[in-house]
Amino acid sequence: MTDAHVVAVGTSPLGRTELPGRDLFSRALAEAFDGLPDPAEVVDALYVGAQSERYENQIMQGTLLAEWAGLQNVPAERVEACAAAGALALKNAVRDVRAGVHDAVLACGVEKMTAGGTEGATNALASAFDRALEQRSGVTAPSQYALLARRYLHETDVTETDLARIAVKNHGNAADNPRAMFQKAVDLETVLDSDYVAPPLKLFDCAPITDGAAAVLVASEDVAADLASDAVRVAGVGTAASSLSVAERDLTYVEGAEVAATTAYDDAGVDAADVDVAEVHDAFTICEAMLAEAVGFAPRWRGVETARDPADRSEGWTDVQINTSGGLKARGHPIGATGLTQAVEAYEQLTDRAGDRQVPGAETALLINEGGLADAHTAAHVLTAH
Amino acid sequence: MSDEHATDHDADSTDERTAGTGPLAPEEITADSPYTLPGFFSALADGELLAARCTDCGTLLVPPRTACYDCGSRAVTIEEQPRTGEVASYTAVHRPPSAFADLAPVTVAVVELDSGARLTGRVTAPIEAVSIGDAVELRVRDPDDVGIDPSAHLSYEAEWPVHEFDLTE
Repeated sequence: MTDAHVVAVGTSPLGRTELPGRDLFSRALAEAFDGLPDPAEVVDALYVGAQSERYENQIMQGTLLAEWAGLQNVPAERVEACAAAGALALKNAVRDVRAGVHDAVLACGVEKMTAGGTEGATNALASAFDRALEQRSGVTAPSQYALLARRYLHETDVTETDLARIAVKNHGNAADNPRAMFQKAVDLETVLDSDYVAPPLKLFDCAPITDGAAAVLVASEDVAADLASDAVRVAGVGTAASSLSVAERDLTYVEGAEVAATTAYDDAGVDAADVDVAEVHDAFTICEAMLAEAVGFAPRWRGVETARDPADRSEGWTDVQINTSGGLKARGHPIGATGLTQAVEAYEQLTDRAGDRQVPGAETALLINEGGLADAHTAAHVLTAH
Repeated sequence: MSDEHATDHDADSTDERTAGTGPLAPEEITADSPYTLPGFFSALADGELLAARCTDCGTLLVPPRTACYDCGSRAVTIEEQPRTGEVASYTAVHRPPSAFADLAPVTVAVVELDSGARLTGRVTAPIEAVSIGDAVELRVRDPDDVGIDPSAHLSYEAEWPVHEFDLTE
């Protein structure tokens, strides 16, 4: 088996932009291929993560983005698992390179979420939930996660203030990330005083509606050497699909995320304690807490301590730094691109390019990207520095 | 609901399919079968909430389907569920999907029925009145009477009832 490496990354601006999806992709591609040969000289195949055609009334995103990258008659497909789509594009690219099917594959993701306003995004995201009983009860993404949060708070002494501190931490990190949608710190009061979206979750517990695209070039060691760009190794991959409906799931534990992360750790030959930096899917503050427990960073019921400095956490916590990018909350959450924006942060941390948010000596990164409600779909990747 | 749907559901034929000893045959999986959504909703229109019960591990599945998600067995049977249960978690949807705009804020709960089966549904009370553990009872409604925008229904959903929960204490 050939090792797969991330050899180049790029993102579009993340936020509310005038650019449609394909143009956001062009921006991400331009950054990723800055200083490299044309994509047509390098790329053998393309995967694109895209959540919904409801935003731009456009499917065939594989063909479209291949065309916009100047790639003729290559394998090119859209993959979809709501917000896990981006990591699935990465997974497929890694699989193809490892198997020797292709030498270089472009994993991309794109979402033009603002196209239909807040109402359009609300409706498009609700499609991720069970149609038969839950959509027909009026649920939304925030309300589904609020059901988890309410039960989690009920079973613990964790408070809304504890959840708010996660948002404060991630906004603080985003202040040092030039890619972030919100490059500013917020204080605890701002989070706590924000309006309820679905109690106990408030506006500042929720990731924003974001336009954005990302492109990650995955290649064999030989191609990476030819391109002479800094590379990081994709050492482990794991994915798992759990149930679609909130009613049938464990309301306070994400077992599917544990399975996906453990699979990725085993693949990479590492364990949770080896991870220095992690991008963890904080679509809602409660997610980061629950995921920290499921992937082995935190003891059960102690996940909210993700907001603390590692030295101040309970015994049993690892010293991992979570969401140095600002996370989905503050970097932004362009659904189909999010899993790849996580990979961009890991690439920058592992190649010592993360500027003021650099974690010194970071060698191992975990990416956790989820789609649908919680671990309805989880994709985990372990990346290691060369 | 229409008479047509009331007669779709045939309780006798349901009982004949409840052996639960192995996989259903393809020809058993029809719109009359409670293992499909049309069959489930036509029973619900008659006031019967049905679950599949896995005869290997006992798990209850709402709506019914042909394989157990908990253990993977395809030995499932149909079991009518109690209409009473308690709130396992709840919230209020302040900005619901557009079809539910007239109902905002929508109180939503995960309810654990007295049988242990769980399902999500609207609660006919403001969120301030709801707590975890509260007793609730299922009620079946015509969607057009509830205030959900009928243009949001898919063609095959138009006659399906919707369910909701009333607080009972």
